[in-house]
Amino acid sequence: MAPLTPYTYIQCPCSDESSPDADDDDRTFDPRAARSNYSLYGLEYLLYCEDCHQIRCPRCVAEEIVTYYCPSCLFEVPSSNIKSEGNRCTRSCFQCPICIGPLAVNSLEAQPDQTHLAAPDTPSASHGGPYILTCSYCNWSSTETGIKFDKPNSIYSQLAKLYNGGEHRLTPKEHKERRKEALQASAVSGDPLPDQTLDVETHFAALKAFYQSQLADANASTTGLSSLEGLGFASPASLSRIMSIYTGGSLHDKRAKSRIGTMREALTSDEGLQLASLDESSSISALRLHHASTIPPTTYQHQTPHLGALPPHTGGARFPSHLRPIPCLLRTKRSKRCPLCRHIISKPEAKVSTTRFRIRLVAGSYVPSISILPLNIPQPSPDGALAPLVPAQFLLKFLNPIFEPVRVTLATPSKTPGRFGAKVTVLCPEFEIDANTDVWEDALKDGVAGKDVAAGARVRRGTVGEDGQQQPEVGKIWERGRNWVSIVVEVVPASLRLDLLAATGKFAGGEGVDAGPLREDEDVLEIPMFVRVEWDADTGGDDVGSGVGKDQKEAKEKRELAYWCVLGLGRVRQ
Amino acid sequence: MSRRPPRGEYIETDTGNKVARKATLVGTQNIMLGGKTVIQPEVMIRGDLNTAVSIGRYCFLSRGCCLRPPGRMYKGAFTYMPLRMVDHVFVGPGSIVQAASIGSHVHIGARVAIGEFAIIKDYVRILDGTVVPPNMVIPSFSIVAGQPARIIGEVPEGGHDAFELRDLYKTVGNNPQPAV
Ligand SMILES: [Zn+2]
Ligand SMILES: [Zn+2]
Ligand SMILES: [Zn+2]
Ligand SMILES: [Zn+2]
Repeated sequence: MAPLTPYTYIQCPCSDESSPDADDDDRTFDPRAARSNYSLYGLEYLLYCEDCHQIRCPRCVAEEIVTYYCPSCLFEVPSSNIKSEGNRCTRSCFQCPICIGPLAVNSLEAQPDQTHLAAPDTPSASHGGPYILTCSYCNWSSTETGIKFDKPNSIYSQLAKLYNGGEHRLTPKEHKERRKEALQASAVSGDPLPDQTLDVETHFAALKAFYQSQLADANASTTGLSSLEGLGFASPASLSRIMSIYTGGSLHDKRAKSRIGTMREALTSDEGLQLASLDESSSISALRLHHASTIPPTTYQHQTPHLGALPPHTGGARFPSHLRPIPCLLRTKRSKRCPLCRHIISKPEAKVSTTRFRIRLVAGSYVPSISILPLNIPQPSPDGALAPLVPAQFLLKFLNPIFEPVRVTLATPSKTPGRFGAKVTVLCPEFEIDANTDVWEDALKDGVAGKDVAAGARVRRGTVGEDGQQQPEVGKIWERGRNWVSIVVEVVPASLRLDLLAATGKFAGGEGVDAGPLREDEDVLEIPMFVRVEWDADTGGDDVGSGVGKDQKEAKEKRELAYWCVLGLGRVRQ
Repeated sequence: MSRRPPRGEYIETDTGNKVARKATLVGTQNIMLGGKTVIQPEVMIRGDLNTAVSIGRYCFLSRGCCLRPPGRMYKGAFTYMPLRMVDHVFVGPGSIVQAASIGSHVHIGARVAIGEFAIIKDYVRILDGTVVPPNMVIPSFSIVAGQPARIIGEVPEGGHDAFELRDLYKTVGNNPQPAV
């Protein structure tokens, strides 16, 4: 089993379900509870609201999109284009439909041609079309689906005009004209107009046009009745709601309330009706052929080919020849707001090329970080697992990031929750950490000096034992530095033996002892710990109106931050 | 011959580079080090391909990794192009880098292969065993993994400092200091 690196996760207050009146101090946070997975975060994932003085996590912040960009060409896409053209790059960025690797545009002529090497250097102009998309990871190429391009740029719009096999795809306008001609022809001959098969884009466009005209008709005949029926199936209101989801809100209609009734569905392929082809024998035989070369006939003959679960971007591709290059999905830069006071707590610069932030209130600059170091681990197994029933000692190092000294109070349950509760003793649950000063000096010195001064200022508080080793002592911190303190926590891991568990359960007279097999990660020793941090903060400067500068000391305000966290110490040997 | 102090494992230059004696740097005239860069034993840098390999400040090349400029057919001849690496770039043990450019604050894990002409922007974390295909562009603040590589997450706002390599720099060399 992989050795476990010690970790600290913090619980965001947004997941605290307790009602404000039930202030039950005995309540212990259980890191193994199913819901805990959703509320625990590493410190680096947490933000901090300076107005609410509270931790904020990715789950509770409100996000706002600052910039849309393509991750491949790093081109910024205006949000107006998102509505009209969708959320994929419309330049030349594609992913391989086989392996999702990036596709490169290559000239067919410039394919590795050994004669070229010997030939005199020809200018790049000779690298003319046709061009193809090739995957540099799995070597898939658009020629496998019969697609070539005339120009090396704006591949997206070129691809939109091509079917696999290279056949020219009709634009909606051309499509309409063809249809009109066919209609006239059928009117002359008297034959019924044949249904046609539509590709995905044409299908969507036809349906969209049809529903838009339906909505326009419904609007024309407005009646003033109640809006409740508007939520039914095939009603104008639900239709316009669905349309606004799929077409980017452009169809949102404030008069939606006033429309009732039902509308008919599409009836012809012009309107977007596409009859499902239930006769799949051709697909099945093609699949058989496709597999025949690789699979011995006996194995596949009795199996029905898998025909479901079609990849979304390929419009129902079942064969490699149906695959289409996948246009790159756009990414975003987002700013984040506090869910309560709506203040912005993180805001990146809008430009894609910069990594700077205008606002970035990370919890790490307000909340002490806790690092875990093994101090005295008796009989560890080769993979670092802890021995059961033997006391092990760990150092917890608290680093104060703020410019005020802080008082820290810790609380842990004496026995960790779960079937295999470990005994926990924090030797020094209350201590002070000095302010974080001289950081600038520290940063500027860059070299050796800054850290050494801090290191030199280390003061050990425990008594020194006979062997010259420092001995941990109850009520005393282990070591103190410029803006950090380390303390000792002692744990006695429980035995993971299930027979013992059942025996002790019987002995205690408990009936509901769960002696089931060891569950995943149940051997990980996790300690829930409640951390309370108190400090005196400067309030001066915040209120301009109040009597300025009367007494500096009075301008201090008591602050408190309290939260649950979980310390993962290691695995217990089985 | 005068008496010399015992040779350390590393050659430490005036600009603070720490280059292991057991590292293989070929074509040193094409290799530019920005200073305070650590090159561990068994690292190979290919400066012999008629193009530059430039490395910024506080880069850390772990044991057994290889930096090799990317090459392609250009105007009828196979040509190597420069490999550029900005500051605070960590390259994990056994990784092979053939990127065109790597930004600053980039962490490349162990046994990673970075294909030719890949472009990696700033604050990118590439997890162990990733294969970045040739020509791939990885935007800033991406966490990347898989074969082929795909973006599996974003570097959180509070995770920027973790890319700093100043402290790691101090822990290696002929007079290493303990990690803080
Ligand atoms: Zn939250
Ligand atoms: Zn793009
Ligand atoms: Zn591919
Ligand atoms: Zn707030």
